[in-house]
Amino acid sequence: MATGSDAPSIGASREQGNPVSGILTFIIADLIVFAMLFTGFMVDRSHELAVFNRSANALDFHLGLANLLILVTSGLCVVFAVSAAREGRMTAIRNWILVAFVIGAGFGVSKFVEWGDKFAHDIGMHTNAFYMYYFALTGAHFLHFLGGMGALAFIWFYSLRHAGAPDFRGKIEAVGLYWHMVDLLWVLIFPLLYVLGHQWPACP
Amino acid sequence: MNDPRMFNTEAYFRYYNPVLTNEAYFRYWRACAAMGPVFLAAFLLCWGMLGYNIPPIPADWTADQMAAHFRTHYNEIRAGMGGAMLFGCLYLPWTLAIYKVMQLINRNENDIVSTLQMWGGALTVVPLVTSSVFWLTGAYRPEELEPKTLQMLYDQGWLLIDMFYFITTIPMVAIGMAGLTDKREKPLFPRWACWYSIWAGLSFLFELLMPFFKTGLFARQGWLNFWVEFVVWFAYILVITYFTMKAIPRLEKERAELLDRA
Repeated sequence: MATGSDAPSIGASREQGNPVSGILTFIIADLIVFAMLFTGFMVDRSHELAVFNRSANALDFHLGLANLLILVTSGLCVVFAVSAAREGRMTAIRNWILVAFVIGAGFGVSKFVEWGDKFAHDIGMHTNAFYMYYFALTGAHFLHFLGGMGALAFIWFYSLRHAGAPDFRGKIEAVGLYWHMVDLLWVLIFPLLYVLGHQWPACP
Repeated sequence: MNDPRMFNTEAYFRYYNPVLTNEAYFRYWRACAAMGPVFLAAFLLCWGMLGYNIPPIPADWTADQMAAHFRTHYNEIRAGMGGAMLFGCLYLPWTLAIYKVMQLINRNENDIVSTLQMWGGALTVVPLVTSSVFWLTGAYRPEELEPKTLQMLYDQGWLLIDMFYFITTIPMVAIGMAGLTDKREKPLFPRWACWYSIWAGLSFLFELLMPFFKTGLFARQGWLNFWVEFVVWFAYILVITYFTMKAIPRLEKERAELLDRA
């Protein structure tokens, strides 16, 4: 177990004694609202099971899975960047953040492909209750994703001049925590929208 | 005068003004800060209960149902909206108290974020008061107005108060940003309150979906766009009032020490 100055800080906060401080407040509040949305989805799904399953089956399962792998891989790169920051490896920090950003950008591209396909087929928020949740959840998640990409870009530029600053580690940990929240939300959204109603092909 | 903070002339005139005693300098600050909870309580009573906005009349009601509502409850709505327009203005002195505290978070930095908070908070009065006028207009001659006109007035009130959310988001994000830059060992606004303020302001973005729905969670009466978002805003008012009140005696003490040293 790490001790002393090597011990990981909590929530990137200066107030180390308070675990529910700093960015964690933002993340917890956000997760509560998403949890409410997930609950709403499940309640409404129970009322219109056939519609939800039929609609879920029309989603591109493989694209959803690709999104999951993209975000988790990008999240892993941020872990390596935070680890490099703790060890004072400045070049590695920037490289890992850059890789995380480039991989993460793939999520944005795939979302435009997916939404473009839905709009091309005249599917929108008003098609049915499932698609209302689909667009609301993926849209809200996409805004979080954009915020995360902005945070990655910020920390990359910030590291050019301030990588050795005393508050740098706290900042990169805060960015890392936020980016993992973006991962986590997709880890929950993916099974809910893409897997739950998916009709798996029969075994040969 | 050895304090390096005194070399900034703007801070010197704004903060270190030996003509003003500490008592005179901080006079009315607490009264203004207390206007936040007063606004909240009165607004809930007038706008919410008397005005029948908690919860809102569902967006999928017919024009005839809406007309029946106005023609039955016109006196309560008149009283409620009159009160909402009166007490809605208390958001202004509350905003001013936060502005004064924010100016002293880091005395040697420019005051653009605190000014932004002041303008955003003050302009929040506009949707609060203007939307109340629409509901008041409906209650003024409900028998003579067409049901569709009454429906339109009620809709317009809600579209304004919900969709002008970003003018409230600006001060909420500004408070969070300023608080997070506080260089004190123990910041005036704790970091969790700053992040809550930022999150709460940004969470209003769900209101973007409100005009697209008449039923469900995103409609004006929906559990997300009404119950969650309004509770989040009300909680923000209480949290920021609490820490503004707690900041004032600390600033008084800091200034007294500064005057003693000078």
